Amino acid sequence: MSTSEVNGLIIVNYIGSVFLIAIGFYTMMAKKNIMKIVIGMGIVDYGINLLIVSVGFNPGGTAPIFTINELDPGTFFVDPVPQALTLTSIVIGACVTALALSLVIKIKQEYGTLDAGQIRRLRG
Amino acid sequence: MIQHFPILAIMVLFLGAFLTVLCGKNKVLRNIVVFAAMLASSVFIAFLIKPIMIDGEVITYWLGNWSPVADYAIGICLVVDQLNLFFAILVSVAVLLAGVFSFKYMSRDDTLEKYFTLFLMLSGGVMGLVLSGDLFNMFIMVEILTFAAVALTAFRNRSEGALEAAFKYLVIGVIGSSCILIGTTILYSQFHTLNLAQLSVLLHNNLQPATILAFTLLLTGFAVKAFVVPFHPVEADANAAAPSSVSVIISCVLTKAGIYGIIRIVYFLFRSMNLAPLQFILVLIGTLSMFIGVTMALAQKDFKRLLAFHSISQVGYVMTAIGLATALGVTGGLYHAINHTLFKGLLFLCAGAVFYATGTTNLDKLGGLAKRMPQTAALFLIGAFSISGLPPFNGFVSKWLIYQATYEKAVEFGNIGYAFVTIIALVVSVMTLASFIKVSQSVFFGQLPDEFKEVRETPVPMRIPMWIMAALCVGAGLLPQYMMRYLINPAVYAVMNVGNYIGSVMGPGYAEKIAGQTVEAYSSEFALAGYWSPISWLALFAIIICAFFIVSLSGGKLSKKIHSDSPSGLDPKYDTFFSGEANEHSQVGGSDLFWGFKHNLRHYFDFMHNAHSGVISDYALWAFCFLSFMIVYLFIIV
Amino acid sequence: MILFYVLIFPGFLFCFIAGLLLAGIDRKLVARMQRRIGPPILQPMYDFFKLLGKETIVPRAASRKTFLIASTIGLASLVATALFIPIAGFSAFAGVADIIVILYLLTIPAVSLILGGAASGSPYAGVGISREMVALMSYELPLVIILLSIGKAVGNAMGGGITFSFTEICAYQMSFGPIISKWSMIPAAIAMLFVIPCEIGSRPFDIAEAETEICEGPLVEYSGTPLAVFNLNHAIKMFIMTALFTSLFLGGFSTGIFALDVLIFFVICVAITVISITLLRAVTARLKVEQVFKFYWSVVSGLAVLSLILVWLGL
Repeated sequence: MSTSEVNGLIIVNYIGSVFLIAIGFYTMMAKKNIMKIVIGMGIVDYGINLLIVSVGFNPGGTAPIFTINELDPGTFFVDPVPQALTLTSIVIGACVTALALSLVIKIKQEYGTLDAGQIRRLRG
Repeated sequence: MIQHFPILAIMVLFLGAFLTVLCGKNKVLRNIVVFAAMLASSVFIAFLIKPIMIDGEVITYWLGNWSPVADYAIGICLVVDQLNLFFAILVSVAVLLAGVFSFKYMSRDDTLEKYFTLFLMLSGGVMGLVLSGDLFNMFIMVEILTFAAVALTAFRNRSEGALEAAFKYLVIGVIGSSCILIGTTILYSQFHTLNLAQLSVLLHNNLQPATILAFTLLLTGFAVKAFVVPFHPVEADANAAAPSSVSVIISCVLTKAGIYGIIRIVYFLFRSMNLAPLQFILVLIGTLSMFIGVTMALAQKDFKRLLAFHSISQVGYVMTAIGLATALGVTGGLYHAINHTLFKGLLFLCAGAVFYATGTTNLDKLGGLAKRMPQTAALFLIGAFSISGLPPFNGFVSKWLIYQATYEKAVEFGNIGYAFVTIIALVVSVMTLASFIKVSQSVFFGQLPDEFKEVRETPVPMRIPMWIMAALCVGAGLLPQYMMRYLINPAVYAVMNVGNYIGSVMGPGYAEKIAGQTVEAYSSEFALAGYWSPISWLALFAIIICAFFIVSLSGGKLSKKIHSDSPSGLDPKYDTFFSGEANEHSQVGGSDLFWGFKHNLRHYFDFMHNAHSGVISDYALWAFCFLSFMIVYLFIIV
Repeated sequence: MILFYVLIFPGFLFCFIAGLLLAGIDRKLVARMQRRIGPPILQPMYDFFKLLGKETIVPRAASRKTFLIASTIGLASLVATALFIPIAGFSAFAGVADIIVILYLLTIPAVSLILGGAASGSPYAGVGISREMVALMSYELPLVIILLSIGKAVGNAMGGGITFSFTEICAYQMSFGPIISKWSMIPAAIAMLFVIPCEIGSRPFDIAEAETEICEGPLVEYSGTPLAVFNLNHAIKMFIMTALFTSLFLGGFSTGIFALDVLIFFVICVAITVISITLLRAVTARLKVEQVFKFYWSVVSGLAVLSLILVWLGL
């Protein structure tokens, strides 16, 4: 693909990520099954990760992996910082999903149901 | 050497957490490691007080020595200025006392090495949050502390509602963290830096639609962490289900971390507090939190859930004061923040002591514990009077400052709305008092149920942190001059004048880019603050009380003890005058109190009880409604 | 000198005499209004000294120390309040924000009653303190609004937006005449006249010490010296509240002779007592708890808010 096409296409990433975040949030809001709520949390995380990576894009740049000898002024690479942020965020997403799923397992053992409308002993 | 103290204060907590995992099985070694970690962290923070608070320096620590290059921040930095140190002191005191309390309190549970590991990670996360100068670092720390708090909420996973409270906390917490992350991303995409100081300069007078969106998201994210309305039901659930030492951390420390985030965002990063509609929305959120928190608290039946709703109400006070954007307001807000940590910590520790002794926190089942646990009752009364704002305790000082700040703002801007905020604040204070009278009658006074006739006083290891907190409450109330001079005034100065921070972080040349004028901190002499020294009051009280003590007590002491000839005191007909029926236990407490009040507001209460339905999707829905509303609102006003 | 203020005037001794006199006058007048002869005017004093000599019985279910100390806390705070209210223009401790101080100090006697009731360990006391708390919540709101509106009115006239200081209010009344002569403050004055009986706990608002319903409420287990002190608190509170009303709304007169001023002040207090306490007590029955709350939060607060708005608009 030529540079200008890639330039324009990056907007797809943004739209996609916003779309994913919106779907994730909608799932968390509207679904009553707590497994689906956990899946929604995961989708929000993926959407945000996509957003972060897309932010770092420089059209025409290469991957930011160099040894110190290859680095000279004029090399043009994509921004490495968002990629680092994304890695961190992926790890955090994995941890959140793990914690949430373990809670779901224990809730199913204790309450016998996965319906958020029934899991409401603390209320008022 | 002192440059390294901030990072040491954070790392020693994390190191302690990892070491606790290693030496978990050996109880004594584990306790020593945990205590040493918390104490070391507090000592490091204490050593920082002199250079920062008193001498006015700002310590910047670039991790890995990656100092800024060509006016561009390329490393992660920890910055300790007066505001950071203020919150760090607050965190370390609360963590230390709650940790010491939990040694004995949790001794009946098992797998305690996991508890202490999580506890230290929670403390490390909060300490990192308040000391960091980089936006993504703050996000990481927020995530760490959310995990640890969720896991600790579910720690006693056999107890009623612990798992669901933890799950709800996780969902709402993830919403908040996601908002922070999206906001950070947007800011990065515009300015390619994550450093707070540099962003603050680049954002100055530079508000575009993308940055406004980022502002909204960051503000909402930290508001979720601070548990203001409408994110508050989760805090009530989490506090009720968590062990009490963890409740102290959740309701006192984590909410303050959220408040810290909000202050950083609004005052420092975006520096937009001079916009009147923004002040209005913050004050509105604060006032709603105040009112909803206290009215819901009046209707609760569970001790810790009631305390949690009061937490929400007090955080509402802090939000209102901070939203006023006057020096006096910020002073009142910060003072109330530290006071709230102290007295709410004390109250939660008392709740923990009651739970340890009796095994329940249901107000309808408790009663008359003051006879068996007199010291706990006295401590609870100290906490209750502090939170209601009675002199000479610390709540009075900070609430006084807040009333004065709101009323002065009303006068200054000719806007009668702020006068109503003062009125609501005062009425909420009275209702807080009412609620604590109800709790003390339900738990400590009244009649002792039979199953609790054998409870013993709180063990000494648990009582020591409670006494220390009570002493701090009283001390902060009697000696506000010292608190103001050493802690609060420098912090307020740091909030209002950002040049110091930026100059220290980015190098002195950067400060020229700041065009705003510096605001003089409210150097409050107490004549202006309007009440004369509480020590004179206490002396006055003491004179008068002493003069009459003799009269009153002489009547009591000289009387003989008359033992009625009832068979072993079991027959309640002889305990108090009764209407002659047989034996129903007749403690009037819990839900029986305040019937008149609840009856009048029954429509409001019905609505509120239905609204706090306990379904997680509802709470998520409120969060998004708030987010969308804020986005629209902020786009309109900027 | 402070000791003189605290113990003699306007402290303990003055409040003692003035309060018990007012209570006696009130009882006598109620009796006369009900076509009885009634007790002598000094009867409350006789009651006080009689009770001091009686035995104090502490119930087994009570928390002993709190039970005995509660009454003195109330007494201490009431005497402290008396030191702040300008009696005929003279106040022992003047500060910048006396009104807020008084507002706080006035909640403490109610709290002491509640503490005493809570410590009694009796279910009747439990019901009584709950009602007392509801009463406290009811009248606190209009009281706050009234004080704020007075502060604003005086602040408007004296320059500076708001004042919380009693000395300024007295100075204002010296120059401009009593505050009640401003027509915008008349709703506030009427509201205050309603707040007084609720704060004192006299019919129709005496829901806390409802003798016929809950056997005297919080005081059910008390006898001897603590009961004497509680009754004394009740009497002094009558004096404090009427003195507050007089100095806030009807100040500004001075004959130059201090003793005569104090006497005129006391006579006006008696008049206020008659209007707001005695008349209502003689002719009404007791309201129910929720009715009291609704009344204060709608009618009385409405009057106070009306005054606040009028003052705010600069009228």
